[in-house]
Amino acid sequence: MKYSSQSVAMPYFIAAIGLFVGQIIFGLAMGLQYVVGDFLFPEIPFNVARMVHTNLLIVWLLFGFMGATYFLVPEEAETELYSPKLALLMFWVFLIAGAATILGYLLVPYSTLAEMTGNNILATMGREFLEQPLITKIGIVIVALAFLFNITMTMLKGRKTVISIVLLMGLWGLAIFFLFSFYNPGNLVKDKFYWWWVVHLWVEGVWELIMAAILAFVLIKVTGVDREVIEKWLYVIITLALVTGLIGTGHHYFWIGTPEYWQWLGSIFSALEPIPFFAMTVFAFNMVNRRRREHPNKAAVLWALGTGVMAFLGAGVWGFLHTLAPVNYYTHGSQITAAHGHMAFYGAYVLVVLTIISYAMPLLRGRAANSERSQVCEMWAFWLMTISMVFITLFLTAAGILQVWLQRVSDTPMPFMAVQDQIALFYWMRLWAGVVFAAGLVTYLASFFVKGDSKPLIHA
Amino acid sequence: MQTRESSARAIQHSDHGTPLRATVIWVVLIAATIVTWSMGENGSSGPAVVGLLFAIAFGKGAMIILDYMALRRAPLMWPLLALGWMTLVCALIGIAYWKGLAA
Amino acid sequence: MNTCAQTLVSLPSRSAAACDSPARRLPGDLAIWFFILAELLAFGAFFIAYAFARANNVELFNEQQLALDRNAGAINTILLLTSSYFVVRAVQAAEGGQGRRAATWIAGGFACGAGFIVVKLFEYAAKFAAGVSLSSSTFHMFYLVLTSFHFMHVILGLVILAALWNNARKGRYGPGNMNGIETGAAYWHMVDLVWLILFPLVYVMR
Repeated sequence: MKYSSQSVAMPYFIAAIGLFVGQIIFGLAMGLQYVVGDFLFPEIPFNVARMVHTNLLIVWLLFGFMGATYFLVPEEAETELYSPKLALLMFWVFLIAGAATILGYLLVPYSTLAEMTGNNILATMGREFLEQPLITKIGIVIVALAFLFNITMTMLKGRKTVISIVLLMGLWGLAIFFLFSFYNPGNLVKDKFYWWWVVHLWVEGVWELIMAAILAFVLIKVTGVDREVIEKWLYVIITLALVTGLIGTGHHYFWIGTPEYWQWLGSIFSALEPIPFFAMTVFAFNMVNRRRREHPNKAAVLWALGTGVMAFLGAGVWGFLHTLAPVNYYTHGSQITAAHGHMAFYGAYVLVVLTIISYAMPLLRGRAANSERSQVCEMWAFWLMTISMVFITLFLTAAGILQVWLQRVSDTPMPFMAVQDQIALFYWMRLWAGVVFAAGLVTYLASFFVKGDSKPLIHA
Repeated sequence: MQTRESSARAIQHSDHGTPLRATVIWVVLIAATIVTWSMGENGSSGPAVVGLLFAIAFGKGAMIILDYMALRRAPLMWPLLALGWMTLVCALIGIAYWKGLAA
Repeated sequence: MNTCAQTLVSLPSRSAAACDSPARRLPGDLAIWFFILAELLAFGAFFIAYAFARANNVELFNEQQLALDRNAGAINTILLLTSSYFVVRAVQAAEGGQGRRAATWIAGGFACGAGFIVVKLFEYAAKFAAGVSLSSSTFHMFYLVLTSFHFMHVILGLVILAALWNNARKGRYGPGNMNGIETGAAYWHMVDLVWLILFPLVYVMR
């Protein structure tokens, strides 16, 4: 750690991991509810568990991005953070608001929560992933603005690198597109149209900039490859990501009442969305192969390479699988979407946050890298989580193909719930893969507590 | 890559051909464009016309790829990738055109 | 890869001294070539989609194609080809050690590219006045999407040419420093290359 204010990243990372654990617990509960429908009913019905599972994911990734930014920007700008106090204050505001929202989901019926929080003043609730009460949404905007103010001021007084500029562009984009969550037109087509401006333009647009910047930062640090080379790749990747991702929004506009041309635009541009992810994979491996130093933190290198490969598979390949309009005509909203969602979020965003945590945490704890034993434990966690996620994805894909066939393609289509019974076996297998994932997560947590001789931090 | 190497190359060997060659290619490209344009103005159609049309397009593209983009002297993979792209696109357009005739 | 034999095979008349020069080299930066391949893939996907959409709707495409302005399309082809030619001359000038002279050639290339933009804008104005829009027909949708996607590339290419011109004017390019100008030139030729298929495909093929 080169600047003392980088230490504000620590609580963000800890909160991220804590919420990650919560997300997985609810994921397991839901996995069981898929096959044992009344599990935890009526205390935590499926729709609530799902909302908590997805909302926790988004919140912990945001914690991860913010922690990454607080760690990365001072080092890139070569200056202390503009206001570490503001960063800590915003941490507590965001954590308490997040926790209160989740408790609200769990303790009060959703409609009561809506009444209590002013949804009748401005209706923003009830949309998938954007279920947060109005006051939480306003809180998110305030935290985001304070955060961006802090980071922008830090950058203005320091060195401006391509990596930090790309990161900042991504973060500003994240905040700006979130504003569309306040626009909730009564017309269902328009509602969905703008809803994707938050959801899609986040995960297939500006988040990719954040991801590419974090990955580039870690790669510079662990490989020692010239900044110039890495920046050049960064330009190529973000241009490709933006061009394909922005117009690729069209792949959500099939068959929902939008003009027909979206079928062409959406199909073609989103079919090209794997390219920036492929470039990222090539980039990560290329940089590691050309490394000029052997960084003692082997685990961080593994997470970084894992990000490249899994993001390409999950976001790229599994996205392409059902992105063409004629294919999507059958697969829309089936378990194939769930398969893609799981591997894409894990491969791209979970792994990139765990990459920066793996790189930064030892430094924040005053060492260049963790002990050999601790790193071995961390790498076990990587393989357990990654392989079980591959299986979760494969089982869901199998379930999805069977579902589409029985329910939509067959000459004698079966009703939804009858099909769900037919594919229960795959849900059971997915649940067991989920249990292995949880074991991986426990291993990951344990790696923070494994003792051993760590590499001392050498001050240059 | 290195300065010494590059300047040595500049004396004995050019990666980008001569101005004369570039000019001759330009004249050919312009002439080919006029042929394409006149085919359009005559409203010519049919498999033979379309075949000629894309043969001309392929020839023009090959000149751009090999000479203007200077892939003639690049590692073999690169001109092959670019020409392969041209071939694939022209071939698929041809197949689609033929499919349209049959319909 | 860079063997002497290869040079001798491809250029048999060359003396043995030529073996001192490296045989095969990719001009410009590897990253731009990766980018160019991605671009070619994108345009390729559009061309093929157009061709197959046409196959399902030949009469509509043939009828509405007649209304396109082939003169504007041909003039634009000539402008792009000439622009590419000027850029080649600029690269050759830089390679020959006349870095500043390259700036003049690039300015010529930029002027032709700007001419393309002007012609295209007039073409679009006429089409929009005639009620052409993304939703007016499948043919119009493809015509607008393909040409405007290409149009964006011309604009980006012009920005790159402006940067090259600025650097060339300051004498930054020469036999020892070709990377920048070769990289920019390669992108500009790509913009030309895709138009060479776009024009016969959309404006002429029937």
